[in-house]
Amino acid sequence: MTRIIVITSGKGGVGKTTVTANLGMTLAKMGHRVALVDGDFGLRNLDLLLGLENRVVYTAVEVLAGECRLDQALVRDKRQPGLVLLPATQNRKAEMITPNHMKWMIGELAPQFDFVLIDSPAGIEMGFKNAIAAAQEALIVTTPEISAVRDADRVIGLLEASNISPARLIVNRLRPAMVEASEMMSVEDVSEILAIQLIGVVPEDERVITSTNRGEPLVLENNPNSRAAKAFENIAHRLCGEKTPYLDLSVDRGNILTRLRKIFTK
Amino acid sequence: MNADSPSTLPINDQETTDPILATPAQQPKLQIRLKNEDGVVKLILPTEAETPASASWNDLLEQLQQRLQANIRFWQPLAVVHLIAYDRLLDARQLQAINDALSDVSLQLQIVVTSRRQTAVAAATAGYSVTQQLAIDPLVPPSNANLTPLLAEPIYLQMTVRSGMDIRHQGNVIIMGDVNPGGEIFAAGDIIIWGRLRGIAHAGYPNNPQCLIMALQMEPTQLRIADRVARAPETPPPQFEPEIAYITPQGIRIARAVDMKTTPYLRELALPPSLRPD
Repeated sequence: MTRIIVITSGKGGVGKTTVTANLGMTLAKMGHRVALVDGDFGLRNLDLLLGLENRVVYTAVEVLAGECRLDQALVRDKRQPGLVLLPATQNRKAEMITPNHMKWMIGELAPQFDFVLIDSPAGIEMGFKNAIAAAQEALIVTTPEISAVRDADRVIGLLEASNISPARLIVNRLRPAMVEASEMMSVEDVSEILAIQLIGVVPEDERVITSTNRGEPLVLENNPNSRAAKAFENIAHRLCGEKTPYLDLSVDRGNILTRLRKIFTK
Repeated sequence: MNADSPSTLPINDQETTDPILATPAQQPKLQIRLKNEDGVVKLILPTEAETPASASWNDLLEQLQQRLQANIRFWQPLAVVHLIAYDRLLDARQLQAINDALSDVSLQLQIVVTSRRQTAVAAATAGYSVTQQLAIDPLVPPSNANLTPLLAEPIYLQMTVRSGMDIRHQGNVIIMGDVNPGGEIFAAGDIIIWGRLRGIAHAGYPNNPQCLIMALQMEPTQLRIADRVARAPETPPPQFEPEIAYITPQGIRIARAVDMKTTPYLRELALPPSLRPD
């Protein structure tokens, strides 16, 4: 049974696309067949993060217009054969897409894959409605900031109204040191407000920026030193082994924090 | 035909002749029109009234040959031509000359439309289909309202083509400025970028492999000509210079602009189809 998961946040710039690229890459590395769908029509950049921009010929809009077949639009990742990208268009034709289009397209796509991950645009307008139209589950990405949490809260409400469940939480770009110093919301603070299951915490990591600019997701190479890469991998594993995600997390989070504490007490 | 000195030939295309450079002697009111209508090329001769007394049949034929050769990359091979002769008197020899000029660029003369009985007889004798029109009013210029040109007039844009913009045009496109990553240009003809090409350029859209992409600095996301796609090399060259992209049987290739005249395939694009290597 294919799992169709939308990655959304409400607020922009919190890391939806980075999460999508890294989760997709990890799931493909684990041997799953994964399709990443760029739902950010008009301002696409999932192709950039994956380093596939120059291989995009057709996009979802051409598929919907009948100008090409669905499989012609899929861009296969040569580094990770289990991974394909369905690119979004970025010109004005993006406005013609409706939730029914997305349902049809993802319905066509789903049987060939184990996971379909849909990268949602920021906001709660048409693009968001399109992105969630075909989804069965959701991953909510937020950063520990009141504005991001407020928007995530609104989005969770909309997802509940659309019967998309479970919706699980990823707290991204956490700076444990700032949390220690009570200068940043803690994961507990965020969880308390949003009251959905936590599936992972990703610490701030400068290597995310370099990997984005190079078009190589952080998890592509084995990056044993990158805590963010490890966090993405853990989220992917929890996504598959659903029995004990919360337990995994507490261990994981403990690891990060204790390691960091050591650094700071030196 | 002397193709090496086009500036001295009596080119009478009003749309392209620079009024400052043209002297009255070089600009007689003699105008051949070539239009594309549903895949049929209409060759429209000037009426007798539009033809100045000084203009000879040879001027007309020379102009026809030049117009055909100048657009050589944009003719569909074996496209059918309808000759609209109006009230112009054409004898068998002249019809044959027109047919020869068309054959040189792989076009086929099929139908002759005329209002002159003698022309109709000559055309029918030579084996063309003939449509005889009633005499036209020589004072009313022939209407071309329902005719679309072979390629639309080129568009000239002085702008930066930014991410998310797409420029689509049924003709040649000239951009005075950069094309940023995420910007796209689709042209039925050539694309000339006086600036940096870093987005996607699709020349000869959808299916004319004779078209070219030219840029001062060629570092595209993708180049497309007709139905071919090419990506830029992973490592950009140490130094950029003006380049031209063109199609070969092996795919899209890029040549330095200064090497245009000596590059195989690129050089041959200027030749008539009969002289091109396969």
